[in-house]
This record gives sequence, C-alpha cells and structure tokens, in this order.
Amino acid sequence: MTLQSDMTPEWLAGGTDLMERRRTGLSRGVVKVLPQDARVGAIAWRADGGATIGAGVTVAALAADPRIAVAYPGLGQAAAGLATPEIRHVATLGGNIAQRSRCWYYRSPDIACLKKGGTTCPARAGNHLYGVAFDLGPCVAPHPSTLATALLAYNAGVTTTTRTRATLADILGDGTDGRRDHQLTPDELIIEITLPSPLAGEQGHYKRAIGRAEAEWPLVELVTCLWIEGGLVRQARIAAGGIAPIPIRLTAAEAVLTGASMSALPIADARRQAVVGAKPLPMTGYKLELLSGLLADALETLAKGARSKA
Amino acid sequence: MVTFTLNGAKFTADVAIDTPLIDIIRDHAKMTGTKQACGSGVCGACTVQVDGHAVVSCLMPVAHVDGKTVVTVEGLGRGAFARDDLHPVQKAFMAHDALQCGFCTPGFVVAASAFHDGWRAEHGTATPSEADIAAALSGHLCRCGAYPGIYRAVAAACEGRHDGAPHESPRYEARDKVTGAAKFTVDKFQEGQLYGLVLRSPHGHADVTSIDVSPALAVAGVKAAVSMLGNDKTVRHVGQAVAAVAAVDRAAAEKGIAAIRVAYKTKPVVTSARAARSKDSPRLYSGFIKNAANSAEGPVLPLPWSGNMRGPAAAFSLAQSRAKKDLAAAATRGDPLLVTGIFINAGQSHTCLEPHAAVIDHQGHKIVAHLSSQAIQFAAGQIAKKAGVKDVTGYAEHVGGGFGSKVSFGIEGQVALALSKAAGKPVRIAYDRAEELSVAGHRPETEIEIKLLATKDCKLDALSVRTHSNAGVAVNSTVSGLARLVYTAGSKELMDWDVVTNTPPGSPFRAPGGPPLCFALEQAIDEAAVKLATDPIALRQKWDEDVNRQRLYTWAKGLDVWRQRGDAGRESGRYRRGIGVAAGNWLYFVQGNTEVEIGIRGGKLFIACAAQDIGQGARTILAGTVAEAFSVPASSVEVDMGRSDLPQGPMAAGSRSTASIVPAALAASEMLKSRLRPGPRGTVGDNVPWPDLIAASGDLRIKTGRPPDSTVINPEVPNPLKAVGFIGTAFDWMLRNFAHIDTGRGVAGAVQIADVEVDTWLGKTRVRNFYSGLTVGKPRARRLAENQAEGSIIQGIGYALYEAREYDPVNGNVLSSGLDDYRIPGIGDTPEMHIHFDEKGFEHVPGGAVGIGEIATLPVAAAIANAIFNATGVRSYEAPIRPDRLLAGLARHNATGLASTRRA
Repeated sequence: MTLQSDMTPEWLAGGTDLMERRRTGLSRGVVKVLPQDARVGAIAWRADGGATIGAGVTVAALAADPRIAVAYPGLGQAAAGLATPEIRHVATLGGNIAQRSRCWYYRSPDIACLKKGGTTCPARAGNHLYGVAFDLGPCVAPHPSTLATALLAYNAGVTTTTRTRATLADILGDGTDGRRDHQLTPDELIIEITLPSPLAGEQGHYKRAIGRAEAEWPLVELVTCLWIEGGLVRQARIAAGGIAPIPIRLTAAEAVLTGASMSALPIADARRQAVVGAKPLPMTGYKLELLSGLLADALETLAKGARSKA
Repeated sequence: MVTFTLNGAKFTADVAIDTPLIDIIRDHAKMTGTKQACGSGVCGACTVQVDGHAVVSCLMPVAHVDGKTVVTVEGLGRGAFARDDLHPVQKAFMAHDALQCGFCTPGFVVAASAFHDGWRAEHGTATPSEADIAAALSGHLCRCGAYPGIYRAVAAACEGRHDGAPHESPRYEARDKVTGAAKFTVDKFQEGQLYGLVLRSPHGHADVTSIDVSPALAVAGVKAAVSMLGNDKTVRHVGQAVAAVAAVDRAAAEKGIAAIRVAYKTKPVVTSARAARSKDSPRLYSGFIKNAANSAEGPVLPLPWSGNMRGPAAAFSLAQSRAKKDLAAAATRGDPLLVTGIFINAGQSHTCLEPHAAVIDHQGHKIVAHLSSQAIQFAAGQIAKKAGVKDVTGYAEHVGGGFGSKVSFGIEGQVALALSKAAGKPVRIAYDRAEELSVAGHRPETEIEIKLLATKDCKLDALSVRTHSNAGVAVNSTVSGLARLVYTAGSKELMDWDVVTNTPPGSPFRAPGGPPLCFALEQAIDEAAVKLATDPIALRQKWDEDVNRQRLYTWAKGLDVWRQRGDAGRESGRYRRGIGVAAGNWLYFVQGNTEVEIGIRGGKLFIACAAQDIGQGARTILAGTVAEAFSVPASSVEVDMGRSDLPQGPMAAGSRSTASIVPAALAASEMLKSRLRPGPRGTVGDNVPWPDLIAASGDLRIKTGRPPDSTVINPEVPNPLKAVGFIGTAFDWMLRNFAHIDTGRGVAGAVQIADVEVDTWLGKTRVRNFYSGLTVGKPRARRLAENQAEGSIIQGIGYALYEAREYDPVNGNVLSSGLDDYRIPGIGDTPEMHIHFDEKGFEHVPGGAVGIGEIATLPVAAAIANAIFNATGVRSYEAPIRPDRLLAGLARHNATGLASTRRA
C-alpha cells in the first residue's frame, strides 16, 4: 500500500540510509554505483596543514584518525558520537551529508509530505516532537547530518562533480526549500571535503543531547570551536544541528565569546545569545533549553581543558 | 554476480547490487541464525562480520561484500580463538546467562566477538570497562534486558577466562541460542511455503463500501488473496487488516497487495482520549452491542457505554460514597494532608524482537501451525475452532519475546490460516518492524486522577483512583481496581473507564494495569510522606498489611543507600542525586489444570508439557526440577515443550509458568521414583543410584496433574481476591472460567529503591543503582530468576524515561513505528542492579516458587519518579519523564518553588 514512492535514481554509497528507504518502499529509483572518483576513502594532508577528505572516507575512519583528532577535534568527536559502531564502519562522509530526513512523517511510506511531492508538511500541524526550533521553512524536520554540522563549524568546502569548494550553504540550501534535504542535482556527487588549515591553539568540542546513554538521533547537537591565544578567545565558531532544517551557526553567541578571556567566559550571555532568532514550534521549545545547556556544557569543558593546560 | 566467502565457503549470488546481505544469508544460504528485527540498523540482531568488522546485514548491499569474508553466528566457532566449535564469547554468554529469549543473541555474540578479537589483539587479557563494552555494543538492543549478564560475559571473555573453559550454562537451551541453532517461528522454511502480506487501512476511520481481491489473483506468482473484514465493514484505525495475499515471493505479494481494490467512505477520526471523551466527538461504535476488542486477559464484563466511554467499573471500591464525601470535605476545608494529582502514562509497545509471526500449513483434514506464541495450546485450540479441523498441531519451540502481546491467537495467525486454506500451501506471515510497533499490541495509555487523604495520626482515611484508559479501539483495561489489593484505607473509590479512539488496539503487557497504577499511587504516597514529614518507607510499612512486604520494607530501610538519603530538593548543582522508593503487589497466579508427562525414553529421563519458553526459563526449570529429584545433571533430562499435543501446559502469562509446572514436575518425579524403586527401604536394590536405575529401565511414561497447594502450610495466608469479599470471589471465579487462571494464596511483592542522577542542563536522568527486593518464594533457577528480575527493571526504566507511542493527531498513524523513534533501553542505560530475594511466604506452593516477571517491573517507574523528586524537587506527572518534561518541571520549580512536569 505504498503511496509515496520516490522513483528518482540514487547513488549507492555505504547504503545505511538508502537501504532502509528501499526496504520500506520509500525509494524505488534505479540504484547507481559510485564512479571511482567519488569512492576515494583517503584523508590527504595538504602543504598548508589542512586536510582534504575523500567522500568515501567512512565515519569510523574519521573518528579514529589521530591527526583529525588533533587538527579538527570537533569533527573527530562528531564522527565518533554519531550512530553505532556497525553503522560508522560502513557509512561514508559523502553519504552522511547527502542522507535524507529522519522525520517520522517522511519515513512513513503511507503519508504524503513536501519531501515526497506533497503540498504541505503534516508534522507542522501534527506531531513535531522532534521538529525544529528554528523554523526557517515550510518543512519542520531538522537536518539529519551530524558531520555537516561539524563541517559548518570548520568552514569546510565541498567539491562535487560540478562544483569546486562550494560552501555547505550552497550544498544544503538556506532551509527554506522544504522539498529537499540538500541542493545536489540528481547526477551530482560529493567528491571531497576541503578543510581550512587548522589554527594553532584551537580547541573543539562535540556533544549531542539525547534521552538515553547512547545511539540515538540527537534532540540537539552542538559543535563548538574556540581559537585561543594568550588566554583569550580569538575566534569562536559554533554550529548546531537537530534544531533547524539545516545546520546553523550561532553567530550571536560567537560574537559575545570573541575576545573573551578563557578564565571568565561570558557563559550566561552566550547562552542567551544562542537562541536569538529561534522560532520554536508548539512542541519544540525544549530544544532551545537543550541548545543553551549544550553550549554551557561545551564552554565549561573547554575552559576546564584550558585551565588544565595552563 | 557477487562472490564472497561465507563462513569459510565460497558463495556466489546473481542478484541486484542493492540486495540486502541478510536476504542472501537467510533466503539463499538458508542460514537463519542471523535475525532481522528492525530493518533500520538500530537493533543489531542481523549483525555479521565482514573482514572481521561487525556490520548490520539488513543495510549492507551485497555488492559491498564482493570479494570479502563474511562470518555469521554459525561460523564464529571456526575463528582463531575458537575451541569446541565455540568462540570464547559464545561460551561466556552461556556461562553468565547473558540472554533470555535468545532472538537478539546472535547479533550480540557476533558483535561482541569482533570486539573481543580486537581487544585481545590490542590489550591482551586486560579487562575492558563497562563503558568500553557499552560503546562497542551500543548498536544492539535486548528487549528482555539481559544486559548485566552481557557486561559480565564480554568482560570475562576478554580476560581470557573462557578460552578453553567447558561450555556450561545455567540455561538449558543456551547453546542453541548462542550458536544460532535455535529455530524461531520466523526461521521456519518449508518446501512450497508462500510469502504472506497484509493490506492495511490507510484511513483512521472509514466504512469499506466495496472490496475486490480478485485482481490480486491475476498477478503472476500470487496464489491466494482473501478479505480480512468480517461482518463489521468499518475500519477504525490506520493499519487495521483489510485483506491479505500469499505469493511465491515478497515482490509478487507486494504487487498482489497493490492490485486489491478497496473503496472507503471515510468518517471523522478521533485520536486522543481527551477529545474522544467530549460529547461532540465522533463515535467509534454504535448500537447496543459494541464489538470492541478485549485488551486484557480477563473477561469483558457488561458495562454501560456513553459515547466513546465504557464504564465505570467500580466494583472494587470500598465504602465508595464515604470516600467521595471525605475527599470532597477535605478539599473544601483545604486539608493540608490531602494529596491530589493527575498522572498520565504514555502507551508502551511490547517491542518483541521476534515480530508476531505465523507459518501455517492448512492441509484440509489437518493443520500444522508454527506460531510465535505465549500460549501454543490455546492458539492451536483457536485454530481448530476457527477452521473446524480437529487435527491441529501448534509449535512454538523458541519464542523471541512476548511480554503479553502473544497470548491470544493474533491477526498474523488468522491471516496465515485464511491464506493457507485458500492456497493449499504453507503460508508465512512475519510482521515488519512498523507493523510490530503499530498494530501488534501495547500497554494502554492512561490518565489517572488520584486523591489520597491521610489523617494527622498517620492513617490512610480515603483513597480515590479514577482512571481513563485509552486502549485504542479496544476496551477492558483495569488500573484503579488493582488499588483494592494494596494499602489499607478506611474507604476507597476505585473507578475505571475505557475511552476508545481511532488507534490500534492495546493488549496485555507485563502486569497489565500495574505499572501505571504504581506510577500514580506510589508518587501520591511519596507526597503524603512529605506532607506528614515522615519516612516514605515507614509510612508504607504503616499502611501496608502484607506480611511479605513488611520484611522487604525492613530490608529496604536498612540499605546504606536509603539511610544516607537526603531531603528532596536540597541540591542545586547541575547534576543532582536522588533516592526514591516504591512498592507493588501482584496476584500469585497458577494454571491449575497443568499436567506433565515424565518417563524414560531410550534409557534417558524426559519430561513433557505443552508450556512454552519465552525467555523466562521454563525449559530450564522443568529439566532442573527433574534433575534435582534424581540427582542427575539437568542436561541429561530431555524436555519436550512448545508443542500443543503435549500434556496440558500453562500459558506463559500472568507469571504463572513456574508455579504451574514445578509442582506437577515434582509430583511426577516422585511417582516415577516409586515406579523405579518400588520396594520399601532396606530391601535389596534401594541403594542403587538413580542414574543406574534410569539406564536399566525400559521405556515408560507417567502423566500427572499439578497437585493443589498445601492447606496445612501457611494456613493463615489468604487468597487476596477472596479476602475482599463477594466481588473478589466472583472475579476469581471468572478468571478461572474465562481466562484459565487460578489465583493462589499469598501475593507476590516488591519494594524497590532507585538511585538516580539528573543532569538539570540537559534534562537527562541516569539510573545509577537499582535495588529490587522481591517476595516470590524460593527461586527455582537462581541465575535465571535474577536475569528476569534485572530485565524487568530495564523494561521499567524504559517505561519511566524513554518509551512512548507517538501518533499523528489527525489520522492516528503510529509515528513511533521504527526502533529509532520508539526508544527502548540500550546496554548503556543499565544501572548497577541489586536483586534481593526474600524467600519466605510461599512454602505452601510445592517447590516454593511463584512467578517473577510481572511483580519485578511494577514499581520501577514509580521508584525512579520518586528518586527524581528527591533529586530535584520536581514531581513527575507524565511518563516517560523525557528531557522536555523534566526541563519544563525544573523551569517551573525555579520560578515558583512548586514544580511538576504536568502539562500547562
């Protein structure tokens, strides 16, 4: 009784998202094998010290890479913190960015929604317990990609078969297109991710708010990067996931942290600024408290780390 | 064409590149140890090793294993560490009883073996921490909650303690479960077997104006198509079975389903109990007779209907009008000792990892049925009745979880039966996870209004419990009535209503009605203790007359964790510790007509009974009881079980199995002994050991029934139902005659203490320690009893903190229909558990043991809620106590000092 099958041809990467959608009948298009250049499973280090990561690198490989852990700790921790060991072993960086929504209306093969050619978002008037608290577009499902959230915090560039070093905003859109989870064309493939060269003294932190101990899609997740020099925050880059149709940067919170002393971070002010611009839905106000709590957790952890180093 | 090595042999498959590896393993290679449970990579039951790494085979495209080495649970015993055809992890799972029903076990064992091999290579025989193990196994779910044993097993295997050890287990069939040899219903394949699929209603409420299944029969490969609508042509929830097809494979069955033409005339839908109670609500049922399904084990009594409400059932009240009057007067005068609250519990899905499944072969004059069932004999009887065929044999050799949802002969069986009859071939129906989490039963959602009035001299004057249960389209939930059996009060108003909604039917779930009542009542008692400024255990000890629980209260009061407990709301930091207590009681049920056959077959002891092992250990208990009587190892006793043509067995429901089978097995053993050694003491041959007598004996068999409990021992212990007078006696009679269940003397009791830590920033509760004191007599198989008690706590933690059925409010679709959205506890959520069996109180039961499964889960959520109150000062009025609710309660607490997680 599948009413809402998507017949668009799709690329097969690790398969951890696509295979589930095919089993339920949600996606029934032709499955295309990745060309060789999109299968690259290597992390290359450039002369400028930055990393270029092939789209085929698995999440487990990212999580386990010791140089990533030092140069981009927020990315390494995010990779280690998502899904389960079994999934991380096969899921790829490219696939994680291009995965489809986890919204329970979208995942139900029997219910029409914007992402399946429908005209309205049933979750908006329905049950959106796990929906967005930054309501940017007609669809209220949060973006599912943890790695995209981390890459946003690191200002990563995305090279595809047709674009070179596009921004994540280019790839994922601005959150107003409720029909899509990303703006890749059907034939377009992510080839590699380019990370800027790491800043000396930069600290990173990743955490997700979940109900249980492990292995749960985040209610909210946060990647926090602080570039610290001489005990001062030279630059703050904070990206949040699970809370908007795309990963978002918390620029107002970043602004109050920039220039602050690590020994006296304006945590309360940063928490207030973190939720600036939020538009929660009737059932998602709690996500703003979680966002604020996660930011406090990150800043306290990073400040503690700085103290122990000092 | 894909080629890979499968358990050491080359395997080639010519299939589409995106064919899931699990389909190749199960359907092509016919290796059924690898289980499919969720289909979305959450539960890990399908885990296999690819080049030594654990992966989920349900999401693994077969193209990705081309040229690689795949090892399933069947191949683990060939690896570098293996001895005696077993991997050390398999032996460790057996030794530490790290399993119950066994359905998730192959996945756990395969992943834990990969972890073990990596750990040993890197760390030698160092001990991994619980955090290491939890992280490695975070992609696995065990609904029985065997996590403590799993921790111990994995750690012991990594330490090298099972490298060469003999593989012994306290559980009779453990080896079959850790090797994947145990066959569950979903594993039954036979020649000519057809694939059955169900067409389900996409509408929440509609009249079916026409249905035509014949186009399905025109689809190539489709062998049968049937309508599943009876005389009632109205569908009342999304997912209601409308029709079904059987075909040679899934693809053909899907095409057949798509070809069926159904015309619906939709009707207004009501999905929430609150809306359904309004007099303007659309009605689900009309006319004098309401053919609503029964969500309980007991009989449906005639009760008045008003709109979508049925009830009240109030027969268990005591001096009801006085309770009403006293409580009203207390409210009017603003009595400070009056406790009131409205408590809401979400629906809870059983989440059996083996889905509801049936493989039925209707051969005309004879029917063979494999059913994932908790009541195989009852189900076979239902088939015989429905089909009008006398020769029916039902099989349930291994059952992958039930928890109450597999007691009746379910829709899956009815569909398989109808299709097999039409096709003349065996038909298999196995629910997918979305079906399992939507339409396969659940604990009804409840709204409980409670009023409790204590007197200044610490007496319980009046108690009112008014419950509205939403079991979807079904009725007959009893919550309030259970409060008659606990705490002595001057008067009690106990009223139960059913509210029907356009959502799937509820069904019995582990102590039906018990956990929601405890969640409300035990928190109200906690509040009363605050108002009376008294110790909550001491207060219960005053109000609770049960002698068994009195001993448990004394035990609980003496625990360090209780003695060191501080006042509620004293802490102000981010992380706050709290300790809470709750108590519960449950009837001791038994199936009095249980029989066993004992005997000797080819020189070996055997015992036979049509009981079924759903993970609680019935097989172990039967073997163990006979083995003990004859001083032989349990493994030398053959057990015939899980088959309907054996002597009358108990249903695995109402925690009745142990108390039903042990007395029968003891009596049978004595009869066999006197047959083998007929002479009086002192005669020649009376010192020949039993094993010799058994080996020398020809085949013989003796059948006997369960003897009644002793009336001489513990004569003062009453039957709790009969003790409450006429209504109790009548209820006892009805249970015996309509639900095949007897109530015995004495009640099973629990007193439990939870030690929690609340993260007030992220609204997260972690249960650190859990103490469970139980009076269930003397456990027959101690490790298995502990395991079951631990698993009951795990399920209670899920009920308290994580689990909620979520619906679309417009049409009533179940949205929490995958295991990532229906959140059951994982291994990392396991607290340190301390099980205390107080062994007294059931000496009048031959063997001295009663059931554990239900009583052990009853007060868990209430104890956790009381611990959260102790930690934060926030009272939890809604379960599960999710982060959003806890954060809201904390915000109100900070604003006003008076807090709750009640909805505004």
